[in-house]
Amino acid sequence: MIRKINNLLFKSLAYLAASTTVIILLIILGIIAYEAVPSLHLDFLLSSEVEVKGFGGAIGNAIVGTIILSTLSPLVATPFAIGTAVYMKKYIKKGKLAQSFSFLIDVLSGTPSIVLGIFGLVVLVYILKPITGGFSLISGVIALAILILPVMERSTETAIDTVPHELEEASYALGANKWETIKYVTLPYSLNGILTGLVLSIGRAAEESAVVVLTAGYSQFYPELKMAANDKLLFGIKFYPFQDLVAALPITVYHGFEFPNMVDRSESFAAAFVLIAIVMLINATARLIVWRRRIG
Amino acid sequence: MAEHTSEKTARFVFLLLTLSTAFVAFYFIGYIFYTAYPIFVNQGLVNFITGTKWSYSQGIYGIRIFIIGTLIITALSLIISLPVSIFTAIFLSEYASPKIASLVRPFVELLVGIPSVVYGILGLYVFGNILRDYIIPFFSSNFGYIFLFRSLSDGSGIGVLLASIVLAIMIMPTITTISEDSIRSVAREHREASYSLGATQWETIRYVVLPAAFNGITAAIVLGIMRAMGETMAVVMLLGNTPIIPGSLFDTGYAMTSKILNDIGNYVSMDEPKSALFGIAAVLFAIEIVFVGISRKLGGKL
Repeated sequence: MIRKINNLLFKSLAYLAASTTVIILLIILGIIAYEAVPSLHLDFLLSSEVEVKGFGGAIGNAIVGTIILSTLSPLVATPFAIGTAVYMKKYIKKGKLAQSFSFLIDVLSGTPSIVLGIFGLVVLVYILKPITGGFSLISGVIALAILILPVMERSTETAIDTVPHELEEASYALGANKWETIKYVTLPYSLNGILTGLVLSIGRAAEESAVVVLTAGYSQFYPELKMAANDKLLFGIKFYPFQDLVAALPITVYHGFEFPNMVDRSESFAAAFVLIAIVMLINATARLIVWRRRIG
Repeated sequence: MAEHTSEKTARFVFLLLTLSTAFVAFYFIGYIFYTAYPIFVNQGLVNFITGTKWSYSQGIYGIRIFIIGTLIITALSLIISLPVSIFTAIFLSEYASPKIASLVRPFVELLVGIPSVVYGILGLYVFGNILRDYIIPFFSSNFGYIFLFRSLSDGSGIGVLLASIVLAIMIMPTITTISEDSIRSVAREHREASYSLGATQWETIRYVVLPAAFNGITAAIVLGIMRAMGETMAVVMLLGNTPIIPGSLFDTGYAMTSKILNDIGNYVSMDEPKSALFGIAAVLFAIEIVFVGISRKLGGKL
């Protein structure tokens, strides 16, 4: 009897826990949407912050900044991530060295973002200022690329693991060398997994705040494409937007905390709403890629 | 012959990319400890870790308050999230039909997609008010004689409990998904053997499935701890940032990550303060490296 009661009790606990998880998410999304709606209009989304009074009154600049940061940083990280994963899986000799290197990647991928943030602040923003332009798009992109590199490297390794050995052996049997096998068999076969990792790291870059605030700074203007003389930088020229400050949505949201009297509560939530929408859209894309792989 | 060259080139390019990655990783990790080293020598490593005073003007740097702040919110968030995440994982892998599981799982994954600043303002504007208006008055007036429930803060709702609840929500999906994977990977034969001995479903889970998945679940918890300790934005917004050791659940405190974030902007160009702030980062990093080692060991990779 007690055994039956226990059985039922813990089953209900499991159901309860799962419903709690679902309800928490629904409540969170509900609150954010509810608070955001009054501020969500086209002007808010499409104007840059400088065009309206005060702080956080429009987020066009931050949306553009987030999109640029989160597409450029995976672009920078991709060759290193894929190259490292291929070398780790196909070339390196198994042993102490390979194991320590894999440990190093794990350490890098578990790095608290604030630690990477202050590294970026000192090295990219201050020491390399003549090249990066200080707080700038370049600094932000490089720091974010370091943040997502291990994530992409791991997902690429996992994707390469799914390639059936028979396929690669067949390729060798046909007289292909290692590089040809990698190019024509391994990478195409694991493409979906690599793409999923790429898309997920775009999402990771879009939602990051500690690293971005310490490397990219913030700007109330839209990024613009131009050149201007600046004798502090290399060649005496400042290249916009790369060496210029850039805004990002997480920082706009953070301003609601930093300057509570200047940023309207609803506008903070509206920025948060747009940020979540962007991140979820990106993650949904990753899901779609996995789903197509299962079908195809 | 041409093929031979391309083979060599490919190997060379892959090696070069790998070495670049290794260089960045070593340079980054090395730079943190290199910059922190002067403060360890200057203050003494033990004094730095156990000291209670942090003063730029006097040149005394002790981070005990920040370490304790981080440890308290990490432990509390783990206590809050553990039952929910483990039971959700059990639900997804043991009780739910495949259809229901694939319906619930996206919700767990969507929780991962909520950025930490968003959790921050949610805590600040919504959960904080609920704590301030209902929870804190209730507990401090009815159970105020227990030290945990003393009302010590300024009554804004911000403090240890708020930060821990929000952190708990943040680490829940991490623990749930990884635990689910390891519970799911327990062989079906184990379960069937247990049933055939007359065990109920719960007894099977409790005595067969969970012990078999023990390593994976522990690894999931370790990753959750790492996420909680390294979290910056939500904690800086919700813990109150007062340099004291919290005296109750409703008191404010200061975490390691928050101290770095709040001060680095003002002190980045001064050597000693910069080294001290990098010292906090180095301690945090060292703890993280130990945890990575533990989770790899549990995963059988080391």
